[in-house]
Amino acid sequence: MQRKRLTLTLIVLACVAIALFAVGYPIYVIRPFRHQGAQELAVALVVARFRVIASSAAALTAAIAFYTYWRSMGLWRGVLAGLGVVITVVLAYASRVNIYELMFHPVARASFSQPSDVKLDGDEKVIAIRINDQARAYPIRSMSYHHVLNDQVGGTPVAATY
Amino acid sequence: MVNGVPLTFHLAGINNQNFIMRDEETGTYWQQISGAAISGPLKGAQLQLILSDELTFFTWKAEAPQGMVFNDVPEFVSDYAPKDWDVRMKKAPTVISFNEHSLGARDLMLGVQAFGASRAFLLDRVLKEKLVVDRIAGEPVLLLVGPDYQSIRVFHARVAGVNGVTGFYRIAEPAALFMDDATGSKWNFQGCAVEGKLQGKCLKQLPALKDYWFDWRNYNPKTTVYGKE
Repeated sequence: MQRKRLTLTLIVLACVAIALFAVGYPIYVIRPFRHQGAQELAVALVVARFRVIASSAAALTAAIAFYTYWRSMGLWRGVLAGLGVVITVVLAYASRVNIYELMFHPVARASFSQPSDVKLDGDEKVIAIRINDQARAYPIRSMSYHHVLNDQVGGTPVAATY
Repeated sequence: MVNGVPLTFHLAGINNQNFIMRDEETGTYWQQISGAAISGPLKGAQLQLILSDELTFFTWKAEAPQGMVFNDVPEFVSDYAPKDWDVRMKKAPTVISFNEHSLGARDLMLGVQAFGASRAFLLDRVLKEKLVVDRIAGEPVLLLVGPDYQSIRVFHARVAGVNGVTGFYRIAEPAALFMDDATGSKWNFQGCAVEGKLQGKCLKQLPALKDYWFDWRNYNPKTTVYGKE
């Protein structure tokens, strides 16, 4: 009985730690107004790439372990172990959220107008490109919010960035 | 696009105040300023830079009346920045700085990568001088402020097939902005001769990036600075 308690406790703790690291470390390193060192950034980007898989696997493992061993835990230990499982599930969900796109929403469907139909002041700046005789202007006022716009100009896929 | 495969990019983070993108097809992370893949399956790949201008809407509209403008997304308009966003951001703190050339971290520069070298020009100085003749890695370059006194273009100041045309000075005429001292031909803001012996010839435009000093210097450690030799 005691061995089962210990096993579940260790598994849940390990899963919480893995999910917490997978979700938290990239956020900690890659946050605005903080200096990013080259090595920590490299590690954070690798962790970020695998955070969904890692945190989901941790949540699944914690849930299976809880289902297997919870009867041997007693009330309070069982509640704490269950709370650990809930935390891993929440973290697994959080790993799928792009917080940068919560702050600066992406453009789901870009639309375009002729210059005569646009209400922009004459002195407003635009990023201008021309490909195969097709000209595009991306106003900086909106690009400095969205930052990235996926477009197609003159048959060429373009990522306009600011 | 990499190896013929179109990629779709998303904002994915920040690296010392230059943002990181992630493509949804491969999960690779890309640095915005350089277009370089910095982590993931395509690490080491490079996006092709498309020549772009930063122009006033007035100037762009005059040059491209048939062009199309990206529309505001109505639900986010209230979050958009004021039109002098880059100037207002000069007050924001930075996480890196380079105390060189008596430049402040957020001084606005016009950066040019050409002929295997990098050179930065203080934006206010270019706007003030209106026409700058300089050299990058020994090659003559011309920085030209447009008729709106705000837009700037950079050209390789060498006329293909013509020797000795490297000196230019500004004129203020409706159809032309500058003149070369070798033939007296008159040139417009697109870098094309519109009058004189060289009429029809065009200078090659060079890519230029308006950037804060700290960011430009961070990614161009060997950059030189105009007027700071």
